[in-house]
Amino acid sequence: MGFRDWSRGKISDLSDTYKQKSSNFGAMEAAVFGSEDHSLPIDKVRYVVIDSELTGLDAKKDSIVSLGAIRMLGTRILLGETFDRLVSPETKLTGASVVIHGITPGEVAEKPSIEAVLPEFLSFCGDDIMVGYMPVIDLTFLNRETKRLYGISVKNLIIDVFALDKWRRQRIGEDSSGCPSLYDIAKSFDVPVKGAHNAVADAFITAQVLQRLLPVLIDLGIKSVGELLAVSNPAKGGDKFRFSFKFGNF
Amino acid sequence: MILSDVVEFLEKVPPFQFLKKGTLQMIASKVSMEYYPKGTEILVQSGPPSEHLYIVQKGGVKIFVRSGTDDIIIDYRNEGDSFGFVSLYSGDKSRTNVVAADDTICYLIDKETFLKLHDAYPAFAEYFLRSYLGKYVDTTFRELYDKGFLYRSGNTLPFTTPVGDIATQRLITVSPERSIQAAARLMAERKISSLVVVDEERKPLGIVTDRDLREKVVAAGVSVEGPLRDIMTTSLVTIEVGEFCFEALLKMIRHSIHHLLVMDKDTLKGIVTNHDLMMLQGLSPITIAREIESRQNIECLIPISSEISSMVGLLLKEGTKASNISRIITELNERLVQRIIEIDLNEHGPPPVPFCWIVFGSEGRKEQTFKTDQDNALIYADPETPELEKEAAEYFQEFALRINNALVKCGFPKCPANYMASNPKWNQPLRVWKRNFTEWITSSTPESILLSAIFFDFRPVYGDLDLGEILRRHLNQKLEQERFFLARMAATVVDNRPPLGFFKTFVVEKSGEHKDQLNLKISALALIVDIVRLFSLERGVSETSTLERIEALRGQHGLTDEFGLELEQSFEFIMLLRVLRQFEQIELGSEPDNFINPNELNTLEKQTLKEIFQLISRVQDLIDQRYRLGTVS
Repeated sequence: MGFRDWSRGKISDLSDTYKQKSSNFGAMEAAVFGSEDHSLPIDKVRYVVIDSELTGLDAKKDSIVSLGAIRMLGTRILLGETFDRLVSPETKLTGASVVIHGITPGEVAEKPSIEAVLPEFLSFCGDDIMVGYMPVIDLTFLNRETKRLYGISVKNLIIDVFALDKWRRQRIGEDSSGCPSLYDIAKSFDVPVKGAHNAVADAFITAQVLQRLLPVLIDLGIKSVGELLAVSNPAKGGDKFRFSFKFGNF
Repeated sequence: MILSDVVEFLEKVPPFQFLKKGTLQMIASKVSMEYYPKGTEILVQSGPPSEHLYIVQKGGVKIFVRSGTDDIIIDYRNEGDSFGFVSLYSGDKSRTNVVAADDTICYLIDKETFLKLHDAYPAFAEYFLRSYLGKYVDTTFRELYDKGFLYRSGNTLPFTTPVGDIATQRLITVSPERSIQAAARLMAERKISSLVVVDEERKPLGIVTDRDLREKVVAAGVSVEGPLRDIMTTSLVTIEVGEFCFEALLKMIRHSIHHLLVMDKDTLKGIVTNHDLMMLQGLSPITIAREIESRQNIECLIPISSEISSMVGLLLKEGTKASNISRIITELNERLVQRIIEIDLNEHGPPPVPFCWIVFGSEGRKEQTFKTDQDNALIYADPETPELEKEAAEYFQEFALRINNALVKCGFPKCPANYMASNPKWNQPLRVWKRNFTEWITSSTPESILLSAIFFDFRPVYGDLDLGEILRRHLNQKLEQERFFLARMAATVVDNRPPLGFFKTFVVEKSGEHKDQLNLKISALALIVDIVRLFSLERGVSETSTLERIEALRGQHGLTDEFGLELEQSFEFIMLLRVLRQFEQIELGSEPDNFINPNELNTLEKQTLKEIFQLISRVQDLIDQRYRLGTVS
């Protein structure tokens, strides 16, 4: 387990690729690259764990107020590689959402627009596998913006820790019904819940959940990225993420 | 938020706590975090070197080495402790196995960041080196002890001894034009592992070591007729005479070499090898042993026992294993007793018949920690006439009283239960001792079982050691004949349960001065000692120390084969807890005792203790079953 047999060379190769991608990165390229190698072992690939805070859940009216992300190399969380930005929302912050994430209208008024933050965010993500708790929601809003700005959706591979955990519970014969929140899942893995409802803090919690999940999944026979995708999105056969749902389902 | 948590954590962890906040923030931004489920192998012995310094954030790891089929536990590292330094620093393959003893979270600092810190903050490096040196010293100690090197040269420690003091002066130099074969012959003749190649002005040009001969000549198939110039290593690593030995060690690790040239500015002064550094470690015990030998009267021996205490503290700080510490203490205490007896015999003349001074209890088992009560007795050869019998009784009575008093002066309190040679009951001719032992074995009363547990751990330390041997043989013979005795002893062993309640919470002292505390000696250590003693008596094993008994029983005792290793590790762990606790008490100026407060233990220590108690309980159950079923032959 871990990175014993992962040579330093390999890590630096990966980060070189990443740096190159980042530096050459133009807005239009943002949406077109994505790792296609599904045979890589799940404890040896790069993940970027993301979370966004929104003004609300209506894809038509609401918008992003903050974006957070943290990088993982396999099961290792790189604590210094984080992305944490507030965004000036295009729509008004409602009273209800202020209560949830504690971001007040005044705080975001001076912040950069999504047009300014999005390229930075996508650059940070590179072609790493995106991970989130029910990332379908975050991606809905992100894709709305990338489509509007660049005419294309985010093409990164997407992993949902909620689905992974549900699958795990099913496999080991635990009750897999119900819809545990990120914090419920975190607590079940003994992951401390700190600084909740802040995008980067939630991303960090999600990352720690993935960190606990990966060795369990490997034990349960999930070894490759392809298998991980299948488990993360059983209905779609697991490969590419496409959204076609209503928020009402959640 | 994420990074400030890391900074907050590092602020409490040595040696990071000594760094400035800004530096800690820089470190935090480079830190990654890894999770290891219980049982994960983090580093593997002889596997690739560590690429990180690991700091345990939560949980704990077990560090052990595998030698043959045995796992020797070197250490447990808990929250705030770090590991992975040695192979990270040397780039050499990992020398130990590191396994998560619990679900464990580690902060990882990459090599580049670590080396930067190392270069910028010498004290930071020294911290790790010291803790490493402790382990290094420990493994070499066993070697030195076994080879009897303990009584050889030296007199200071790695951190205070300049390299110049231990460097080999009788340096053999050769010209680069000498043939490889001639050089190899010279090395063989002088029994040295390296030659320094110098020019006409004795300026060093290179070095040739055993390794060069192996790798560059034999393995490469190079002709031995060729000149040394072709195979010598020219990148010379040197050290100044005035630098401390630990810096030499550091250079050796860093360059993966075993020889350093010691220079006084431009002049070659000598050479220092890893062996010289290894020799350095046994120093303080050796010094004390020599001091004991050199003292001519009892009064001069008195200050030595406090020297033993402070030396133990030093060994503890260097990370020496508890069992090795008690071996050293036992060895030194034994020398003290021997010297006291020698001095007395010189003053008062020889005894009328041969005698043997024996020790028992923890001293008999070589398991002494700090100051322990006296547990000794005297066997003398059966006098041939009644007159001689009377003379011997008087002589040895007075003699034993003098020795017991001298020991009190040297810091060994009298035994409250009067198990001392000055007690006429325990100062007897061989035949009486034989009769006593026979009686205890055949009567099997609770008192005789108790006396057996105390006296059967006896070990001869001075005089005619054969007397002790004869008594041991007699004991084993009687045990062969009286198996019922072992059943009674087993019943006592099994009765004394570890203090682990049904709900797996600690049962501790309920009242008094040590309320809520756990007596490590009575509630833990003694139970293992009792079990192993029973096994040894079952097989007539003559070793008295618990660890040596386990070793001797291997391959000839089913339960020991099954649980020996775990019992050994448990014993080692409790000994360490105890010796650390006692040393802490001594440093605070209080009397060392055997009590610990379970609440002051960390999670891993608690867990380990619980597991040890479960192990003891399991072995006790199996003993109980066997004796009930009558399967012990």
